[in-house]
Amino acid sequence: MFVLTMRAPQVAATVRAGQFVNLGWAPGPLLRRPFSVYRALDEDIEIVLKAVGSGTAALLAMEMGDRVSCLGPLGRGFDLARAGTVVLVSGGLGVAPMPIAARDARAAGLRVTWVHGARTAEELCGEADGDEVVWATDDGSRGVRGTAVAAAPDADVVLACGPNRMLAAVAERWPDAQVAVETYMGCGTGVCLGCTVPLKRGGYDRACKEGPVFRARDIDWAALPSHLPYAVTA
Amino acid sequence: MTVDMSAQIGGLRLRGPVLAASGTFGYGTEVPLLERRALGGIVSKGIFLRPREGTPPPRIVETPSGMLNAIGLQGPGVEALLREYTPKWAEWDFPVLVNINGETAAEYGELAARLDGVPGVAGFEINISCPNVEQGGLYFGNDPHAAAAVTESVRKRTNLPVWVKLTPMVGDIGVIARAVESAGADALCAINTFVGMSIDLNAYKPRLSFRTGGLSGPAIRPLAVHLAHQTARAVRIPVIGVGGIRRADDALEFLVAGCSAVQVGTATFVNPRAIAEVHDGIAAHLHAKGFSSLAELPRYLPRD
Repeated sequence: MFVLTMRAPQVAATVRAGQFVNLGWAPGPLLRRPFSVYRALDEDIEIVLKAVGSGTAALLAMEMGDRVSCLGPLGRGFDLARAGTVVLVSGGLGVAPMPIAARDARAAGLRVTWVHGARTAEELCGEADGDEVVWATDDGSRGVRGTAVAAAPDADVVLACGPNRMLAAVAERWPDAQVAVETYMGCGTGVCLGCTVPLKRGGYDRACKEGPVFRARDIDWAALPSHLPYAVTA
Repeated sequence: MTVDMSAQIGGLRLRGPVLAASGTFGYGTEVPLLERRALGGIVSKGIFLRPREGTPPPRIVETPSGMLNAIGLQGPGVEALLREYTPKWAEWDFPVLVNINGETAAEYGELAARLDGVPGVAGFEINISCPNVEQGGLYFGNDPHAAAAVTESVRKRTNLPVWVKLTPMVGDIGVIARAVESAGADALCAINTFVGMSIDLNAYKPRLSFRTGGLSGPAIRPLAVHLAHQTARAVRIPVIGVGGIRRADDALEFLVAGCSAVQVGTATFVNPRAIAEVHDGIAAHLHAKGFSSLAELPRYLPRD
């Protein structure tokens, strides 16, 4: 897992937890790629990524001073307008929106528990924030053996991000949880209708406009594909 | 020196030759309209009489230099369009054409009649790449008689400009082009997306839930330039070139190949300023070459 920092003062100043930026770079894929904003520090923002193909490899090969095109902040983030306790449940790269969620939750006066989940200790994000931190790995190599969802305590507010299968489990346990979903995305601005998320009541919402944060019980999880890696392009 | 960038397209005078292609600009209200001075017009997302849910995800997948989409013409239906969007269009200083769709020729006509005379509606772009339920799901656009029947159905119900967006999935695009010209089309848009398919080698099945999708983007541009050229050679009405335009030079290829205007689509997803950049680049080219208007650009258009 890599962290990439870029100077984006306007995004850094206004981004809310759960919002994303749509990045384009050259040489890179034709379409932009969405990334949750991981942290915002003064004039900089950070994203987290894994090397999954030639596009992300090119992004990771960038050097100080290289430029990417950054569109954002986009989408609707987490709603933290509640008092009490909050639990952040993140699986794998689902850590992405959580540092800002922790920051904003604390600012809103909530007590923060962050539950990190991954398959193995190696895949866990080392960074932790919150009044209480819980680690969970599928193989038990760090913290609790099992899923982050199983390891998490109940709370007044539940925020989750991770593979869609994990979010479906979140929806089973906490129907009112706010989940940040991952989908294929075209424009990121609401016009292409490529990133739609199937809803329980029928029809679709756009991950880039109405989402990427949804109420867990509103999503038709059986009809939402698990995350597929982007097709690698020439 | 300023260059006269206006374009005359079948009864509609555009201040510039670059339009937003259907399905890539929503209803024009989703994103802030950047540099609208450069916007020749907008073609709305495709609309049916009734609301449509669209296809299940995944709906898009990127392919080499392009993307496949199978959105399924998700849309709110004509009544919601009239409520929510046309009043806004009426306040804009550029035309909005409505991309209209139907399952029968009569439905297209009905849709045109419902929108005819509504403030904000400047004309129609007929999407003939829809399955015709009366003909067992054959596409209107693949058959000159069906394509003409749809055009005629719309033509009878409106005096507004009627454009027809042609599909590239035909043996001879000139045959379809002449059929819809005879049926009363004011202009033709060439072309819609190519049908394509991409396979997920982990799941051993298509990447798109709909199995196939429409291919757009730079990958199709030379194919589109050729088909737009073939279309322009076949008819007397103006042709609007569409397919993989990202930059001014791409648009100029279509214009020289015989088109009167162009539409920019997929590029807008990547670059919100694509339309303005294409517009300004065309003007810069004309200026550098010493032309004072778009009309002076040489066209390569030998007639059959």
